[in-house]
Amino acid sequence: MLVDNNKIDVVSTRDAFSKLGIGTTLHFAESESEAWSLLQGDNKISPTPKIILIDINENGLSGIDLLHKIRETPDLKSILVFVITNTDNDENKVAALNLNIAGYIRKPIESESNIDFFSILNDYWNIIEFTSEKK
Amino acid sequence: MTNRLVNILLVEDDEVDVMNVKRAFAKNNIQNPLFVAGNGVEALEMLNNSIVPLPRIIILDINMPKMNGIEFLRLMREDDKFKNISVFVMTTSNEDSDKIDAYNLNVAGYILKPLSFEKFLSSVATLKNFWQLCEM
Repeated sequence: MLVDNNKIDVVSTRDAFSKLGIGTTLHFAESESEAWSLLQGDNKISPTPKIILIDINENGLSGIDLLHKIRETPDLKSILVFVITNTDNDENKVAALNLNIAGYIRKPIESESNIDFFSILNDYWNIIEFTSEKK
Repeated sequence: MTNRLVNILLVEDDEVDVMNVKRAFAKNNIQNPLFVAGNGVEALEMLNNSIVPLPRIIILDINMPKMNGIEFLRLMREDDKFKNISVFVMTTSNEDSDKIDAYNLNVAGYILKPLSFEKFLSSVATLKNFWQLCEM
């Protein structure tokens, strides 16, 4: 699942997944509250995503709050969370790393680098094992 | 990330596997300082007594004598000082219970040790690319 309020990022992520042939189901949430609704609320998706990418901008509070809620919820705490950002904000970085994210990653500036970026992430996802439920 | 050469701690009891990690690091030109602990007890001692510089990455085996990887991880996660260390499990255990325990303790990845050295080299190359993407 990708949590990102920037529509261009959503489109380019979908495009990168398609070009790289990443066959996994990709859910989108435009806000942390929408993400929460998909994870635990009325619109709960099943199976629960194994991987969440949270885009955190300068004001990263709501992304960090979402991460806190995920880690405090027994059904969700084991989700692999990657934080993607385009800003230098040490406070967000420390907070996210203390919540045991799998990676704090700088978003590529050039859109052409997006494919390389997701290609590296996809290669990584392919060498790691998940529990037997589908990703 | 590897540009900043963060310290890496390998927790592994099998000497052949330690050697393989060292060889794979050398072949992939990973120059980060690598420290080795033979089991969970030794790793905790190293961390608690600052015998090694604080690692940002731990590569962790599961099946080890004295204290296995999951027990080590559980104790390590209880200590705020070590909260933000990224842990990558590298094991032969394909048990779902180990995967569930490891992900509940928020490892960054659970990797099965490939059977051939060539495949192992390739997994380490993938890890290197991922580490370079991450800020630590």
